[in-house]
Amino acid sequence: MKRKALTILCSMLVMAWLAGCATTEPPKTVPYRLSPQGTVIWEDEFEFIPPPPDWKLLRVEVGENDINFGFMKSDAGGYPSVTSFAYDEEPFGCATKFEQREKEFFKRFLFNAILQFQILEKKKVQVVGGEGLAVTVEGKDPIKKEKVRAKVVFGKRGERVVGFYITQWRPMDGTYDLSAFEIFDKYVASFKFLKKSFYETL
Amino acid sequence: MEGHQRNLYLYERFNARVLGVSRDDIMTLKYFTKSLDLTFPLLSNVTAFLGVSMDVQPEGQPIFGRRTVIIDKTGVIRYVRDGSPDFKDILLFLKKLNQEGGKP
Repeated sequence: MKRKALTILCSMLVMAWLAGCATTEPPKTVPYRLSPQGTVIWEDEFEFIPPPPDWKLLRVEVGENDINFGFMKSDAGGYPSVTSFAYDEEPFGCATKFEQREKEFFKRFLFNAILQFQILEKKKVQVVGGEGLAVTVEGKDPIKKEKVRAKVVFGKRGERVVGFYITQWRPMDGTYDLSAFEIFDKYVASFKFLKKSFYETL
Repeated sequence: MEGHQRNLYLYERFNARVLGVSRDDIMTLKYFTKSLDLTFPLLSNVTAFLGVSMDVQPEGQPIFGRRTVIIDKTGVIRYVRDGSPDFKDILLFLKKLNQEGGKP
């Protein structure tokens, strides 16, 4: 009897503990809100036109050289058909001049895939209120029979270079969906900084 | 390392200099530096005495643990953090130190 009472007491304590966990959990906050104009305001820091609803939000844990958020979409055509794009506060490399940063960036961009990149187009663009550089590349992996088309747009936030990039993976005989790049271009063209970066406040 | 390289202009602003220390040999560090386009010095300490003095040499292992140390101009260690560097934390600390006049 004593043992049974002890078991019940322990169960109640465990339940109370679990219930306590449930009640003390803070409500999850969403890092973005929609403006009346239909743009997304992300953590009161960035404003942009979001992609259509079939694009999923991609969250990444923040760390050294990690992006904070992006968007992705699975495409028809089988593995590895997927498209994703993101804003990156710290793109690979260190240089503050775009041409040099581009060279540094492509040393490491998608380096796990071991691709040979070919530059398809490189041009100066206007981005985040200033001059930028847009580079479109294609990489191929003849062993895995995969290819990727990517566009990287470098811009400036204060003294530092920031980047936007889209990657679209396909089997070697697949065709690219260029409408995704148009969505990316709209996202980049609409992107605004709503406040100074940490580095600009130092 | 790349993060430190990006922040060099801010370290300059706060009168700080950055040095990396590793147990790798000079040739390895030379290639590492080139691959990441680093312009600040990396010191090769194959015999590990610096790591031992900073308490980052695990017994029986050929590499140092990762640690960020800030030493002020008088040689006093003012900041120690293990693991990947928290660059924002480092910059805020250097700014504070510089404002205090205890230039690193």
